Amino acid sequence: MSSTTNSPSGSNRVRIVVATSVMLTFISYWRAAAVILNDLGSSAFYAGGIAEQAIGKSAPWFVLGVMLFAFAVRAVYVESCSMFVRGGVYRVVKEALGGTLAKLSVSALMFDYILTGPVSGVSAGQYIAGLINETISIADAHGWIPAAIHRLFNGTPQVGVNTTAVLFAVAVTLYFWWENIKGIEESSEKALWVMQITTVMVVMLLGWSLFTLLKVGGHLPPFPTLANIHYTDESLGFWKHSKLPHMFGILGLIIGFGHSVLAMSGEESLAQVYRELAHPKLKNLKRTAIIIGIYSFVFTGLVSLLAVMLVPDDVRVKVYSDNLIAGLAMHMVGPQILRLAFRAFVVVVGFLILSGAVNTAIVGSNGVLNRVAEDGVLADWFRRPQKKYGTTYRIINLIVGLQLFTIIVSWGNIYTLGEAYAFGVIWSFVFKTVSMLVLRYRYKGVRNWKVPPNLHLFGVEIPIGLASVAMVLLATAIVNLFTKSVATVSGLIFSVVFFAIFTFSEKVNQRKHAHNVAQMKEQFQLQLAESVERETVGIHPGNVLVPVRDYNTLNHLRWALERTDTREQDVVVMSARISQFGAAAYGLSTEQVFSDYEQTLFTRAVSVAEGFGKKISLLVVPARDPWSAIVQTAHNLESSAVVAGLSSKMTTTEQAFFLGRAWESIPEPKQQFVLQVVRPDGIVDTFRIGPHTPTMKNEDVILLHRLWLNITREPGLENVHHHDILTEALVRFAHDYGARDRDEIIKELRRTATDGGVTLPRRIAGQVGPTVQPDPKDRGDGTPPGS
Amino acid sequence: MKFTVLLVKILEYMFVAGWIGSAIVLVLTGIEDVETLLDRKDEASQ
Repeated sequence: MSSTTNSPSGSNRVRIVVATSVMLTFISYWRAAAVILNDLGSSAFYAGGIAEQAIGKSAPWFVLGVMLFAFAVRAVYVESCSMFVRGGVYRVVKEALGGTLAKLSVSALMFDYILTGPVSGVSAGQYIAGLINETISIADAHGWIPAAIHRLFNGTPQVGVNTTAVLFAVAVTLYFWWENIKGIEESSEKALWVMQITTVMVVMLLGWSLFTLLKVGGHLPPFPTLANIHYTDESLGFWKHSKLPHMFGILGLIIGFGHSVLAMSGEESLAQVYRELAHPKLKNLKRTAIIIGIYSFVFTGLVSLLAVMLVPDDVRVKVYSDNLIAGLAMHMVGPQILRLAFRAFVVVVGFLILSGAVNTAIVGSNGVLNRVAEDGVLADWFRRPQKKYGTTYRIINLIVGLQLFTIIVSWGNIYTLGEAYAFGVIWSFVFKTVSMLVLRYRYKGVRNWKVPPNLHLFGVEIPIGLASVAMVLLATAIVNLFTKSVATVSGLIFSVVFFAIFTFSEKVNQRKHAHNVAQMKEQFQLQLAESVERETVGIHPGNVLVPVRDYNTLNHLRWALERTDTREQDVVVMSARISQFGAAAYGLSTEQVFSDYEQTLFTRAVSVAEGFGKKISLLVVPARDPWSAIVQTAHNLESSAVVAGLSSKMTTTEQAFFLGRAWESIPEPKQQFVLQVVRPDGIVDTFRIGPHTPTMKNEDVILLHRLWLNITREPGLENVHHHDILTEALVRFAHDYGARDRDEIIKELRRTATDGGVTLPRRIAGQVGPTVQPDPKDRGDGTPPGS
Repeated sequence: MKFTVLLVKILEYMFVAGWIGSAIVLVLTGIEDVETLLDRKDEASQ
């Protein structure tokens, strides 16, 4: 160990600086709202239909009630975020209610996350199948279906709605399974784009619906009284033979409320985006909460109401209960072709938002299971990285396996799926809110906001608001246990199985952990630091930063060490601990940031350094996005070079592009550095990150010189320099690009790029602007600058 | 049966009392929401 950085105390243990603050790229509250609405808004496509199947025509009032109540639930999340508790949901509940309930809460949350996928995928499939059948029916009514096909199908050809939904859901789930195995990046930009399209649809839907109401009139749904609530055997579950639901008026309201509660699923995403919100965080969180509250109230609530008002009873439940918005689109006033076109638009939007929710479900479940694995309640076996892509493929396989199983067992029955989904939604809310209530008395740390009102009696605070929300949720969850038999049985089996896995894993891990802790204490000394600073790491400016991820691919570290005299230039080995949406509701604890995996990774890195007899500094940074983590660390450490390995998912130029883009997003002042990507075959591609003089082609230099010769012949221009000509040319170019000839310039540049045979590198360099430019001179034998 | 009825009654009281309290939460946070929406001094950085 003497070849590596030692602890200041002079012991032989290797010092590792562990940054405790996650390096994030901060997003505006609009983007945060878009991310949440991608999940919360998707329930508008199925929640109303499911509620009506369960309790009858008065369902929209319950859905509206749930959306109103969601405003109170989001207040609980705002308070929990304002506390900034370290640790995920598991940790929050564990702190408040203990380990057993914490494991149960995670099981409920997993049930919620895992079911989000099937319910969203099947719902999207139902919308698509409904559109196909409606289009065929209309075509048939016009006599466009040949008689032979008619005979073949014994009537109008129709696709099996549930079968199509199952096939579609399986296909989408498998697609996102593969994307997650490869390790896709989540983007708030994509979420914003989907929400923009959804908003267009919502505005059109509401506007057209109101116009239709004015034209043809409509009746409000019956008010939610005991007489107007019509239960089915399915909606009463274990109480189907009991008199209880018919004896108590308020119990009927609770049953109805319980059947509509999935309309607010997705609210928990508020806690997940909090850490990424830009300053002022709490105020922006409140703004985000207002946006999602109003949006989901209007979208989910009003759409359910309008559907009952405009779609006739005989087709609404029978034909459109699984694709209610499509039914609404088909019952507007206007030409049939326009209505069908609008329905197709609804299906496209549904496809985008619901498919996104399928991905969110996989990402979220993967995040939660990773978190509990780090907490020691899931065997490390699950966290072994995929050889090529480095993702936690075993966890992803488990999640997707369970989702596919759910899709096939339900066989496209959205009602059953939705009812089961509500079990996970309501119980994760209950655990969260009750924990928050308990933490009012147990938690003594900073809390910037509290759910109002709070009464103070004899020096004791009584959290009336928080307790009220908890009471509504708990009463609803308990009644749901009796009325949703399928959900209760499947939810309990799922929770018990997961609870058993967690408990068993915890016991195994406790024994293993004790051994590991002893081993780690011998080998490493963790030094916690709130943020990454050069002084904390104990290095000089102009150092070389080496990001590492997979302990099997450390060739780039060997390459950097071969070419660097570590007595003159420091080498910092950095591991970014990535947490995704759904993974980090709160900060990470030390054990989470520096887990067994990081221990193995750094042990290998230290052994490589020892092989060279050279010194390295070790650093772990929690981050949301690897590119931002590298750029921010290089910036904070004043690194002159970043030496990276070749990504399994992208080319070297693409790596440079993403790093360049991350560099653009950090605030000024910022310094440039060189990125060197070491390929497995030893070839090195070098890129300059930050504005720099571009490499000019020889013919461009000749052209510039010719121009200079001509211009300096003009009277009074004898003293003009080459750079003056470039300045004038660039100013004119910028003017033309901004004012009149943009399209022409782009067309010309495309042609130049194609003709020149330089496709991707040129294109990407163009997108990033002047910040990324491959430097062919350094290719192959480059050494870190400054060495 | 009496025990079940008692339990249902408790659940009903919880639900009603919870909703009354939640309605107060809605009003109070609603007022705060309006203030937050009107306060635009931090929005320039967005």
